[in-house]
Amino acid sequence: MKNIVIGRYIPGNSFLYSMDPRAKIITLLILMIGVFLLDSIVFMLVSIGLIALLLLAGRISIKRVYLGLRPLMFLLIFTFTFQILFNDQGDELYAASTHFSLLTVGLLFVLIVLWLKTKQYIRFKLLYFLLFVVMGFAVLINIDTGLVFATPTFSVHQEGVNMALFIMLRLIIIVTLSTILTITTKPTDLNLGLERVLKPLSLVKINAEEIAMIISIALRYIPTLLDEANKIMLAQASRGVDFNEGKMKDKVMQVVSLLVPMFIISFKRSDELANAMEARSFAPGQPRTKLHELFWHRLDTLALIMALGYFTFAVLTRVLT
Amino acid sequence: MAIQFERVSHQYVGMDQKGYLAIEDIRLNIRGDGELIALIGETGSGKSTLVQHMNALLQPTQGRMNIFGIKVDNLTKKRKDVKLTPIRKQVGLVFQFPEYQLFEETVEKDIMFGPKNFGASEEEAKEKAREIINVVGLDESYLSRSPFNLSGGEKKRASIAGILAMEPDVLILDEPTSGLDPLGRNALLEVFNRIHEELNKTVIIITHDMNTVYEYAKRVLVMREGTLVYDGDPLKLFSKKNIDRWNLDKPEVLALAQDIENKFDIHFDKPPRNKTMLKNALKEALK
Repeated sequence: MKNIVIGRYIPGNSFLYSMDPRAKIITLLILMIGVFLLDSIVFMLVSIGLIALLLLAGRISIKRVYLGLRPLMFLLIFTFTFQILFNDQGDELYAASTHFSLLTVGLLFVLIVLWLKTKQYIRFKLLYFLLFVVMGFAVLINIDTGLVFATPTFSVHQEGVNMALFIMLRLIIIVTLSTILTITTKPTDLNLGLERVLKPLSLVKINAEEIAMIISIALRYIPTLLDEANKIMLAQASRGVDFNEGKMKDKVMQVVSLLVPMFIISFKRSDELANAMEARSFAPGQPRTKLHELFWHRLDTLALIMALGYFTFAVLTRVLT
Repeated sequence: MAIQFERVSHQYVGMDQKGYLAIEDIRLNIRGDGELIALIGETGSGKSTLVQHMNALLQPTQGRMNIFGIKVDNLTKKRKDVKLTPIRKQVGLVFQFPEYQLFEETVEKDIMFGPKNFGASEEEAKEKAREIINVVGLDESYLSRSPFNLSGGEKKRASIAGILAMEPDVLILDEPTSGLDPLGRNALLEVFNRIHEELNKTVIIITHDMNTVYEYAKRVLVMREGTLVYDGDPLKLFSKKNIDRWNLDKPEVLALAQDIENKFDIHFDKPPRNKTMLKNALKEALK
């Protein structure tokens, strides 16, 4: 739980840090829509290059961004494989028939066991896993001795590759952009910025200040509740709960023993917080002064113009092709 | 020896990867055959971290421990062949806030939770709950009540019952009497004393109340900024001149007895540990 990177502020010093949160939020939105409009892989790769430049200029370590992407790895690999395997639009790029026989299935089984047994000793798990996938395919395609009972054809199509790359690049760009925003902006600033950006919504009777207050309270209580959960786990471990082991039936009981106190404590806390806020005369919807005021600089306008430029470019590529 | 600490330190690692040394270089031996130990020290001095090592909830980041024959050090958690759960049956730890522990629909089920985790059958656990509920000063009508509709003091007793039902050899209580009324507090302390004397078990109590320490404890441990600064007899501790450097003060009965000794020509052979003993000693002296 200590390694959550998405949504975490990391102190630093660069132009990205000194930008106005409002400007950052709006540019992020514009850039994201722009990326969705792009329909050529070349421009997509160019965008990734631009983001790399931004990271370099903003002095954000690539490792941080990679850590932010890591939880998405599974999703990325899943969509990639899915598109490659099942999309049969466009030209056929590669086709080979696979052979399922007792021998190859047995070998696959051996490979899976080997992977499960050895993965804990390997540092680059992802590469190691890909190696095993390739080995699995090699076995299926090349070994055709023995009693073959099924020969489904494995084929890769142009459109499948395109879509796979597209989805992957888009996800990477969007997550990287949002990671940049959260790494360089304090939660309180982010929240304040969000409040200001959402202000026009008051025309349709949505109170942006209340939403911002809810978000800031939720953010504020994440570490507190994590701490609380840890204490509850320790207390239940003292009564013989082993959170690492147990059958399915025990697991359910373990989760219940953790969740029930968690709920009770959260409700109690929110009740106390509401009382404390009321005791200090908090009234929702009333105008309040701010401790931190936001200042819009020339840099922010510049960033906004550049983002709009990118957006126009994206629209143009779409219209012209 | 039931629990042995050999130069144990524990460093918490925070979000920013900077460590915080909660306890440092602790050497400590705790016998399993009936000691009543008080653990005192200001908040943040590492008391809770120390007791969480005693049932292996936390493992030392440096140094070694031996808990009922099981060796625990910084590598123990990674080894698959060492099970830490059995230690928690032998060393029962009651946390300060009962809210972290209570979760079942009824008090009875909650008390049964611990014994059942350690392999007791439904009937045995039920029997145990019926027996224990009286020990902590509640009656059997509480068994069918929801633990969330109890008062603070009653919750506390229910949570203590949950640990007592596991029949640990060493019982550790983190501020067991905080939030209790004076009568309830004394009754509960008597319970711990009885467990210690009649069943010959070791009881460790974390407390801020010097009177409790002085009246009940046979041995006192003082923590200060993560280190163990005193381990020994309570009377000797409170007779020291400068105990206020550890933020401790003198127990009322002891202060009164010493005043009486100084002002009047009276000498107590055995320093009285509570009000009744003081009264009797005075009667004896004035005869």
